[in-house]
Amino acid sequence: MIFFTEAVQYLITGLLVGGVYALMSIGLALIFGVMRVMNFAQGDFLMLGMYVTYYFAAAGGVDPLLGSLLAAPLFFLVGVVVYRTLLVRLRKGRDPQREMDAQLIVTLGLSLLISNAALMTLSPTPRGLPSSYATTPFLVGPLLINQARSYAFLLAIILSVLVYAFLTRTDLGKAIRAATDDAEAAAYQGINVSRMHQVAFGIGIALAGTAGGLVATYHPITPTVGMDFIVLMFVAVVLGGLGSVFGAFLGGLLIGVVQSLTLLFFPLQLQNIAIFAVLLLTLYLKPRGLFGQRVREV
Amino acid sequence: MLRLSGLSVVYEGLQALSQVSLEIHEGEFFTIAGPNGAGKTTLLKAIAGGVGTAAGRIEYRGHDVTTTPAHLRAALGMAHVPEGRHIFPSLTVLENLEMGSYRAAARTHRPQSLAEVFALFPVLQQTRARLAGTLSGGEQQMLAIGRALMSRPELLLLDEPSQGLAPLVVEMIFEVIATIRRTRHLSILLVEQRVVEGLELCDRGAVLEIGRIVMEGDRDALLNDERIKSAYLGT
Amino acid sequence: MRRLRSLGTIALVIAATLALTLLLQERYHHRILTLVLLWATMGLAWNIISGYAGQISFGHQAFFGIGAYTTVLLILSVRLTPWAGMLVGAAAAAVAAIVIGVPTFRLGGIYFALATLAYPLIFRILMDFLGYQEVPIPLATSRPGFYMQFADPRAYDLLSLAVFAVTLLMSHWIENSRLGYSLRALKENQHVAEAMGVDTFRCKMVAYVLSAIPAALAGAIYAHAILFVVTPDAVFGIQVIVQTLVLSLVGGAGSKWGPVLGAALMVPVSETLDATIGDVLPGIHGVVYGLALILIMLFAPEGLYWRGHALLRRRHAAPGSGRRGIAAPSSPSRPVRATAVGGPLLEVAGVSVSFLGLRAVADVSFSVAPGEILGIIGPNGAGKTTLFNALNGFLASARGTVRFRGERIDGLAPNAICRRGIGRTFQVPRTFAHLSVVENVMVGAFARERHRGPARELALQALAFVGLESHADRPPVGLTTLDLRLLELSRCVATGADLILLDEPLAGLSRDGVTAILGLIGRLRAAGFTVLLIEHTIRALLQIADRLVVLDHGSLIAAGLPGDVTKNPLVIEAYLGRRWLRHVETLRT
Repeated sequence: MIFFTEAVQYLITGLLVGGVYALMSIGLALIFGVMRVMNFAQGDFLMLGMYVTYYFAAAGGVDPLLGSLLAAPLFFLVGVVVYRTLLVRLRKGRDPQREMDAQLIVTLGLSLLISNAALMTLSPTPRGLPSSYATTPFLVGPLLINQARSYAFLLAIILSVLVYAFLTRTDLGKAIRAATDDAEAAAYQGINVSRMHQVAFGIGIALAGTAGGLVATYHPITPTVGMDFIVLMFVAVVLGGLGSVFGAFLGGLLIGVVQSLTLLFFPLQLQNIAIFAVLLLTLYLKPRGLFGQRVREV
Repeated sequence: MLRLSGLSVVYEGLQALSQVSLEIHEGEFFTIAGPNGAGKTTLLKAIAGGVGTAAGRIEYRGHDVTTTPAHLRAALGMAHVPEGRHIFPSLTVLENLEMGSYRAAARTHRPQSLAEVFALFPVLQQTRARLAGTLSGGEQQMLAIGRALMSRPELLLLDEPSQGLAPLVVEMIFEVIATIRRTRHLSILLVEQRVVEGLELCDRGAVLEIGRIVMEGDRDALLNDERIKSAYLGT
Repeated sequence: MRRLRSLGTIALVIAATLALTLLLQERYHHRILTLVLLWATMGLAWNIISGYAGQISFGHQAFFGIGAYTTVLLILSVRLTPWAGMLVGAAAAAVAAIVIGVPTFRLGGIYFALATLAYPLIFRILMDFLGYQEVPIPLATSRPGFYMQFADPRAYDLLSLAVFAVTLLMSHWIENSRLGYSLRALKENQHVAEAMGVDTFRCKMVAYVLSAIPAALAGAIYAHAILFVVTPDAVFGIQVIVQTLVLSLVGGAGSKWGPVLGAALMVPVSETLDATIGDVLPGIHGVVYGLALILIMLFAPEGLYWRGHALLRRRHAAPGSGRRGIAAPSSPSRPVRATAVGGPLLEVAGVSVSFLGLRAVADVSFSVAPGEILGIIGPNGAGKTTLFNALNGFLASARGTVRFRGERIDGLAPNAICRRGIGRTFQVPRTFAHLSVVENVMVGAFARERHRGPARELALQALAFVGLESHADRPPVGLTTLDLRLLELSRCVATGADLILLDEPLAGLSRDGVTAILGLIGRLRAAGFTVLLIEHTIRALLQIADRLVVLDHGSLIAAGLPGDVTKNPLVIEAYLGRRWLRHVETLRT
């Protein structure tokens, strides 16, 4: 009986954490779907989002949940700038395989640049947001539900729904999906595919920044924290199926749950091994993931 | 309306079109026939902007669009129904149609255009909430044509609309094309392998063989010319 | 000649490094030298699988870490000298390479990269969990040399130099061997490589194992020379692969000199940065590395070595004769094969191929006699290329059999079918762009010759047969479509094929080009080859084909003499549409 309660507890924690994973993974999936770029730097934009929210809170007393929302338009602009200065230069229409490799390496370089520049300019001592959320949990029967994580989860779900609404109810969103499906056919309808890339990248980075703000309410903030999250995002996106935004959402939730439930059976140190096992199993057994499109043949 | 002068196109490293010149007048139905491998699809892609030209010019309504990107040509009123249909499989039928009217000039007329397309293709109205990737070949072809009509085009480019479809469906598609011809004011450029089916609808036409135009003329002159066979079978 | 010059350069580099070990005085400079050599070794190792074979691995640090941990743990547990422990580590890494490689090489591109990323992360966690968060190398008071502990830093320089030299020589050997040609071919185009007889899976596995060994050795030495305390992060961590990637990509992957150049450039830079301003600006070297990756991908994605190589080549551009020689009338040497007495060379019986629920090829049967030229025609989408893909081994036929010289070949891998004697060209010529013309053909020749010298001879012979021998040492970029097609053909001839499948060989050719290819096909027949060709231009086929087979919607609708087939009403209908015949009748009345 105790085990059952414990399991439910872990499940709920996993879901709450998974909601935020889902939000950050959606960004990665959107970028990959439209641009076929696996953005290595996604975790580092998340990290920047954490710091921005921290400064809003420390300097302006802005509630971190509000701060993460404010971060969104800021990071959208950052994404657009990064796309226009950097990524667009790589689309020279050469061999598509080499192009994907080049984009991968460039985003890796960007990740190094951002995380190390942060190391250089910010102190490596972990910071935490001074909010009351982190300390008082909700009590539901025998279950303790962390307040910060709950609000973060709620906001993450709301934002995910907004993204979903954007993609399915606005012309721009549908155009982005069309460009993901078939770029050439989209151009024939008058859709500027390059601009779709730009918008998608901007949204992807905005989601990373905002998710960072949400995570900051319960996770210590360091310049190199991006590395921890990028791997989780990769797994979520692969599990959901590369290119599927909805799949990434589910993948994020699942990863959160897997990560949490592992603690029922394994010590804390081994927590992430289950996640890597999920990655490998998915790649070997069902590389398309849950909702992905046909995997390109080797 | 459309003028090609000395168009040469290299596609995937191979010379696909050499010195192609032709003119399509406003309101005209023009068919390009010819065997496969002749370059018909490459020609339409070059006109629509999906592939670049090595030499020559493309003029549309007096503007030189030779280097204009595809999405801007669509904004000018060119609608391309590509070979193999290329509908957006993860969007619903309705969303596909909505994307057809993405260009500004068509967006304002969207509800009206939608009604017209549903009248032309009732099955699209029935399946409008389904994912386009689940439709049959014939339904996808109808969707592709409907999507193009949503843009209220001035020039409709149709690339082998009958390819890969069952004979009854082919007949239906050609009937629809004839209806479009009758009921709307637009120019149509049809690329079609089947000689009679393709030429009988047109006003004027041409035959393409190995990247060059080998015959040209108005409908009756072409249909009555048995030499077309040699373009296909070499005899 | 080029190989001797290469060996000479290797000797020069080793000698120069030896000189440096003797000349350098500061302990700190020796440390940099050791690091340059170790990272160059790691880069060379990575280059074998990711540069030559093009399978970008983000997980090579797994082998580095295995080398380090195995050596150190063996010292601690059984007091095994690291000189032996190093070799055990290398063996462990080789085993790990096989275990990781078997499931992972089925994946391609980004999936492969992500899978390789997972393994070192798993190892890192395991080492942490097993209690090996910090494993100090015990100080050996007696016999320090036995435990690879030297007071004189020069010893580590020499040790690293030894491993570096071995790896450099191994890379040189690979480049000039059959394996090297196979790897470079499969990097450019895996399907074409398979069709030319390359067993791509086996080659990838061999390359992966060969790349794991130097990585493990480098890791073992790194632990002793630099670390002294082994932590999971230091040897399995992301910075190891970042270092490897940066130096290999900046220097240039795909060549042995690229990683060497990259290491010589980047390692001193990062070490100096860390030592001088690293306190004030922690992470400065990461910033420099990040910028380096971005800049190199934007401006010289092939790497500095290749960029320099291309500039030099342009300066000394050989004024190649450019003119195509007159094709030698003599036939190229053919492998001796047991011929089935009489009977058709190829028998296709009831072959059916479907994908996505569509029957692309439906119950097709025909046979090809030795020495025949058979044309396969049919409207677009009729299944002609799919049929070739089934004959070739790229696709499996759901039903039916294919017999070549009486032996069943359906179900065999493409490289096995190639080695049995079936060669193939492609609709769009697919050459290996980074190999020279003769090297392209050698990839094919390696299907029947193990060694470079005889393979080159065979390749030159095949080039002479098609008249391209004057272009032998130039890269294929810039060749005309006709020459590219000739190149593809000579590659097939070099594999020792008896039956050649030509997929639209006339596409994109001028009238002269068509005449040239038709002439060559005639000469192929005269030399004893059998040819199966897909063509759209029937007019041209009528001049050369003995018989024609017509496909429409996946089924065979006619077969026979060209004159008969083109008059067949089913065929006419397939090409000109159902209503053409009736229409012609009404015209005549």
